[in-house]
Amino acid sequence: MPIAKESNLLSPELLAQLERLELVTRKVFRGRMKGERRSKRKGQSVEFADFRNYVAGDDLRLLDWNLYARLEKLIIKLFLEEEDLHFYTLIDASLSMDFGSPTKLEYAKQLAAALAFIGLIRADRVRIETLAQGVSERGPVWRGRPSVWRMLQQMEAIEPEGQTSLATGVKNFCHRNPGRGIVVFISDLMDKDGYETALKYFVSHQVDCFVIHLLSQEELEPDVKGDLRLVDCEDQDEAEVTVSAPLMKRYHQTLNSFTKGAQEFCSRRGMHYLLANNQVPVETVVASHLRRRGLVR
Amino acid sequence: MDSFFRNTLGPTGWIIIAAIPPAIFALYFLKLKRQPLEVPSTYLWHRVIEDLHVNSLWQKLRRSLLLFLQLLIVGLAILALLRPGWQGQALQGQRFMFLVDNSASMSSTDTPSGRTRLEEAKQRVGALVDQLGSDMSAMIITFAGQPDVVQEFTDNRRLLREALDRIEPTASQTDLTGALELADGFANPGRITIEDADLEVDVTEQQDVELYIFSDGRFRGVEGFSLGNLQPLFLPIGTFEAENLAITAFNTRRAEDRPEMQQAFVQVSNFSEHEQQTVVELYLNDNLLDAAELVVPPGNVASTTFSLSGQIEGKLRAKLDLPPDFQDRLALDNQAFEALENRREGRVLFVTPGNNTLEAALSTERVSRLAAIETITPEALNLPKYQEQSLSEDYDLVIFDQCAPEKMPLANTLFIGRLPPLDEWKKESSSEKQFGPQIIDWDRSHPLLNLIELGNLAIYDSYVVRPPAGGRVLVDSTVGPIFAIAPRDRYEDAVFGFEIVGKNEEGATTFNTNWSRKLSFPSFWLNVLEYFARGDAVSRSVKPGRLVELRVNSTDEKLVVELPNGETREIDLEQPGRLVFHETEQLGVYEVRDSNGVVKRFGVNLFDRDESDIGLRARQEGEDGVTVVDSLAIGYVDVAAQSPTSPVRKELWKWLLLGALVVLVLEWYIYNRRVYV
Repeated sequence: MPIAKESNLLSPELLAQLERLELVTRKVFRGRMKGERRSKRKGQSVEFADFRNYVAGDDLRLLDWNLYARLEKLIIKLFLEEEDLHFYTLIDASLSMDFGSPTKLEYAKQLAAALAFIGLIRADRVRIETLAQGVSERGPVWRGRPSVWRMLQQMEAIEPEGQTSLATGVKNFCHRNPGRGIVVFISDLMDKDGYETALKYFVSHQVDCFVIHLLSQEELEPDVKGDLRLVDCEDQDEAEVTVSAPLMKRYHQTLNSFTKGAQEFCSRRGMHYLLANNQVPVETVVASHLRRRGLVR
Repeated sequence: MDSFFRNTLGPTGWIIIAAIPPAIFALYFLKLKRQPLEVPSTYLWHRVIEDLHVNSLWQKLRRSLLLFLQLLIVGLAILALLRPGWQGQALQGQRFMFLVDNSASMSSTDTPSGRTRLEEAKQRVGALVDQLGSDMSAMIITFAGQPDVVQEFTDNRRLLREALDRIEPTASQTDLTGALELADGFANPGRITIEDADLEVDVTEQQDVELYIFSDGRFRGVEGFSLGNLQPLFLPIGTFEAENLAITAFNTRRAEDRPEMQQAFVQVSNFSEHEQQTVVELYLNDNLLDAAELVVPPGNVASTTFSLSGQIEGKLRAKLDLPPDFQDRLALDNQAFEALENRREGRVLFVTPGNNTLEAALSTERVSRLAAIETITPEALNLPKYQEQSLSEDYDLVIFDQCAPEKMPLANTLFIGRLPPLDEWKKESSSEKQFGPQIIDWDRSHPLLNLIELGNLAIYDSYVVRPPAGGRVLVDSTVGPIFAIAPRDRYEDAVFGFEIVGKNEEGATTFNTNWSRKLSFPSFWLNVLEYFARGDAVSRSVKPGRLVELRVNSTDEKLVVELPNGETREIDLEQPGRLVFHETEQLGVYEVRDSNGVVKRFGVNLFDRDESDIGLRARQEGEDGVTVVDSLAIGYVDVAAQSPTSPVRKELWKWLLLGALVVLVLEWYIYNRRVYV
């Protein structure tokens, strides 16, 4: 596939793997266009739903001629309408994501691209946004396999920029996108004001939310020693530490309680939570971890 | 030299050293400039630090642990530069022998610390024992009168120290030879040599033994001793200035001019540089009897005599009352002891049908001082009075002249011209008189024949007397023995084969020998009385640690000896009337008792000028083979005295530097592992 070759976000092997997957949501939403997803609406599909009397203006093609022959009544056969799905990926592209090898942002983009690709090939509506976008700056919506290339282009254009408050970014996202659907939020959740406010917006927006908590190896197992002055890359905040065994023990405890706290927060509010490490290959996360979480199948 | 610290640096060096700790402090605070490191977010770190701030004091302490360790390293280094150390002796060798002198003179209190020389020696041995390495072994031998192995070879230092504690001072004289022989036995185990084709080969492995001799050297050098593997070291103990006043002689005897009185003789020696005035006090059973003042010239003796009543008996004690400014370093010899016994006069029974010459010899004034003579005729032997007396040990001696009893009396006997009524005598001796014996030889060493000249003695006829087993021929003649002596139980029987006067067939008195006209005749009878009838004319003192053999007037088989300190020992007699006692280490009066009461007393005294002369002696001109402080002569080897304080200094600096190194490694480890406490 020529598109895949031009992008380093998705490898052909990954694409082949992803083609067999589709996005799943536990909630049934109304789509805007006919898609491959069952909808509450009746429409044209192969799946039978109900019968109703013919009224003037109905498509004659829907008449059940067999019934007419038997009952001499014009009955229309109703089929379930298959609709498309809104699939949003919200990427935290703050400076703090520009760490690690590969950088967390890089990793987030790969992950987002993979999920978006699944959405596109299943004819879902895919929109990719970052936290730094303003309220009115809506991103384009991609649909269908032909959009993969453009989606990847947009994805690659995402650069780490400035500091964004999680809460503001998520609030703006919700204002921009009133439609319901699946939201995959990829972030390190490192906000001095806390991630709770931000995640609550998703709850109130009634979207099926997946929080992918992305941490780099350097954050999980910091390789530091000596007396250090740690500088925050976003707000230049400083922390002076003398690295010692008890301090490292304490750090791990804190990190543990941080991730556990986020997980608990999410699961209490019906959100999915996944702790991702930038050292784990994207395909493993998608094919194994997310599948287990029920985002794809 | 003796101080604990020894300075090794000049003032400049010390200023630099003193600047190091403040520099470490300064560097430590400068070090707090931290390395900046950009991290994605300080979010987690801030939470971590907040947690740790709760116990920030502990945190500070932890942080300064490295500082403490660095200061400790510098402190140890400074201490090492001060070279702390102390005097000690370094032991070199594998096997050691410590010979500790515990003779009387080692009780002198002239060491710098005021303890006795023995304590000092024990302390020095203890210090050496402490330095024994794990591959070294040692043994301890004490020597005074008798050498004693206190501890055999061992590498167990605890055992050695316990053995050291067991060493007690004695009052004995010093005898190094015995100790050396004992040491030789241990050091040169079985000097087995194989003689093979005129070649002597040592087959045992010879191992050198370091021989440490701790003594004040109050003894003669040892002659004719080969040291072999022993490597001797002589460590003299004591001072040159030690002064001492000592009683070197004390005895009692009957006054020559007034036999009913007794005299006590006291000799005092002055072992000091100055003339000393002292008072000799005489106690009887701890009651003061008399006292006399004596002026003793330096290095000389003075004596005095006390008159005592002839009837008193008990424990006599002479004691020196020392001048107040005199520092007498040896207390042992300031007292002397003597057993005062109301000696019973000897009683002699002279049984004779008539013998004027002998009676004359036994009636001198001198004889009367020795014994009371009772004369009876042979017919009186059958009287019940004699029968009774002969069984009750009334007499010390019974002389049978020209007669013999039917049964031997319980007394010493002397037969003249008759054989005792005993088969042992009669079996060996001739039953017929031999004519004209010529005296060939006589036993001059026997007390009976002491200073007696028997040459040119004419004897008409005589029996040949051969003593039974255990007896001794005293006079030998051309026909055979004519005078012999033999023991019988606890008595002795002396037998003359010839009569002095006899009776011929007509019953007239005849002279059988011309002995009675010789000068030796009265002397002989005095000897007889001295030997049989009297105990010791002059009481003899026993040296401590020596064996005592006493004749006691008791038929008990068990006797009790009371030691001067009040302890008692029960002694089984092997032979009735003969007491052998060896536990004479203590100075004082010993009492021998049987079931009826005190039967004998004897005194044990030091009376040794060598032991009492306690000051160490420097070698003098022309002196060889005498033990002086510079050296000790053993065989042909002159063992030089070692200085009491060996110049070896035990230093700590190596250990301190090692400690600093250990701390440095610890600090490095902590810094690298980031592990605190």
